[in-house]
Amino acid sequence: MSTLPDAPAPRPNRAYRLARNSWALPALAFLLLFFAAPLIRNTLTSFSGAEEGSGQYFDNYIRLFTDAFYAGVLLETLKVSVLVTLICLVIGYPVAYFMVRYAGRWNPFLVFCLIAPLLTSIIMRTFGWEVIFARKGLLNLFLMDAGLISRPLDLLRNPVSVYIGLAHVLAPFMVLSITAVLQGADRRLEEAARVLGAGPWRTFLNVTWPMSLEGVMTGSILVFVLTNGSFLTMLLLGGGTVKTLAMLIYQQFNLTQDVAFASAMGNVLLLIALIGLVLQSRVVSRRRAK
Amino acid sequence: MSEITRTGRKRRPPRNPAKLVLGLWAGLFVVFLLLPMVVVVAVSFSSASFVSFPIPGFSLRWYARAFDYAPFMSSLLTSIELAVAATLVGTLLGIPAAIAVARSRHPVANAMSNFLLTPLSMPEIVLGFALLYFLASLRIGSGFLSLLIAHSIVAIPYISRTVMSVYRAIPASHEEAGAVLGASRFQILRQIILPQIMPGVFAGGMFSMLISFDNVSLSYFFGSAHTSTLPVVMLSYMENQFDPSIAAISTIQMLIAIVTLFAIHRAYGIQRLTSM
Repeated sequence: MSTLPDAPAPRPNRAYRLARNSWALPALAFLLLFFAAPLIRNTLTSFSGAEEGSGQYFDNYIRLFTDAFYAGVLLETLKVSVLVTLICLVIGYPVAYFMVRYAGRWNPFLVFCLIAPLLTSIIMRTFGWEVIFARKGLLNLFLMDAGLISRPLDLLRNPVSVYIGLAHVLAPFMVLSITAVLQGADRRLEEAARVLGAGPWRTFLNVTWPMSLEGVMTGSILVFVLTNGSFLTMLLLGGGTVKTLAMLIYQQFNLTQDVAFASAMGNVLLLIALIGLVLQSRVVSRRRAK
Repeated sequence: MSEITRTGRKRRPPRNPAKLVLGLWAGLFVVFLLLPMVVVVAVSFSSASFVSFPIPGFSLRWYARAFDYAPFMSSLLTSIELAVAATLVGTLLGIPAAIAVARSRHPVANAMSNFLLTPLSMPEIVLGFALLYFLASLRIGSGFLSLLIAHSIVAIPYISRTVMSVYRAIPASHEEAGAVLGASRFQILRQIILPQIMPGVFAGGMFSMLISFDNVSLSYFFGSAHTSTLPVVMLSYMENQFDPSIAAISTIQMLIAIVTLFAIHRAYGIQRLTSM
């Protein structure tokens, strides 16, 4: 960047562009070297079997998909992601609707509450849930005082706490994705439906819900993909009751160091994320096309 | 908010059951969101020698313990240095790239702008794992440099994203006017564009700092005995011990994050961040 060429004479027929394409090169080079190359190398590693040159490229994947334990983990990973996505949608949609339609001057406060946890350490939030779910913790005390249980529940070795922990981390992403789209929805369509005699439920189902579907899609893909990649909540709140691919990668790295197999598991996660990304860009380009 | 309907009447029914129910739901949601953090802050002031809530009494002993525990303090310093350094790398690489691809409608530019944002959607644990073995093959071991590389991968998209969205909102005529009046490319960039994209740079930079500051999945793979980030040190502490000093150091970390969030709000407005 030592010598900058003179500005070209303005051409009347073509829009002036400040940037040269080459300005993108440093960032692209950096990402190709340190982001794309490692992932490609990881893919290659995943095809190398335990025995060098045995020609069994798919050994790791065959093991991953056919071994009862690993296939179970794979299914569990998908199950957790689907369930967490649904939970976040059910919790988050009404909140997003309230924020856009009714919150008014409370909106900035709600936005702050949504963003603040995103910026506190995930370890802190998990620790908080550990305190709440402990044997003599807040929740057990509350349930016992209410007479619902007689003995404290072992919540920290229970999938329920994992689901609550994940919903807590990811629901804000869902809410923010939906509010972003709902804000742009044309309210006059709802009013037209009401004027034409549709009840509030019918208006919601036939007018509002379809208009917000892009936000629901965006949020769901985001939550699904983020759940796929998370392992801290499972590790600290699940006590081994919820085993997912990401957690297994963490454990394989810690314990067994079976690099090729961990690479294969990582590659499956990567593939899921890529599918999510493609779906996401479809949703966005459809919106742009309108 | 105050649309007038065809009948000329203001649409504000005195009692709206939907509003009431949804408002209650949103209120419960806020309690759900804030509850674990409130609990942690409360526990950090506990006088008990074990974790319990409600706390039996007030004391600052766990803050004293957190400040005395050398790994917490040295890793906090590492985390702050790393967040700033990664954001600087992200800014230097991200801004020119964002300006280069933001306005072009060429398919290649489109693909490049998608590629710039891709690291945000990839599972970090896979990226960290893959990068570790890749860097090892380049003979770059664990330590600050590899942490910096890992965190910069995420900093670039955060900064490019906000810069792209701010730059797209600036009319192209500003640059054209500069060019017609004979300004050089560098002058246009420095005197016309940079001042206008500053809010985007600032917001993206703050975000990337906060994300880096809290990152576990990437940092986990690159910590060494000498350099490790705070979240990783906290995680390994938590796997062995369960005492309120974790609550104290978490609260300190949260305070740093909140101060930074207010800085974003002052400079840019939180509201605009949610619409991206």
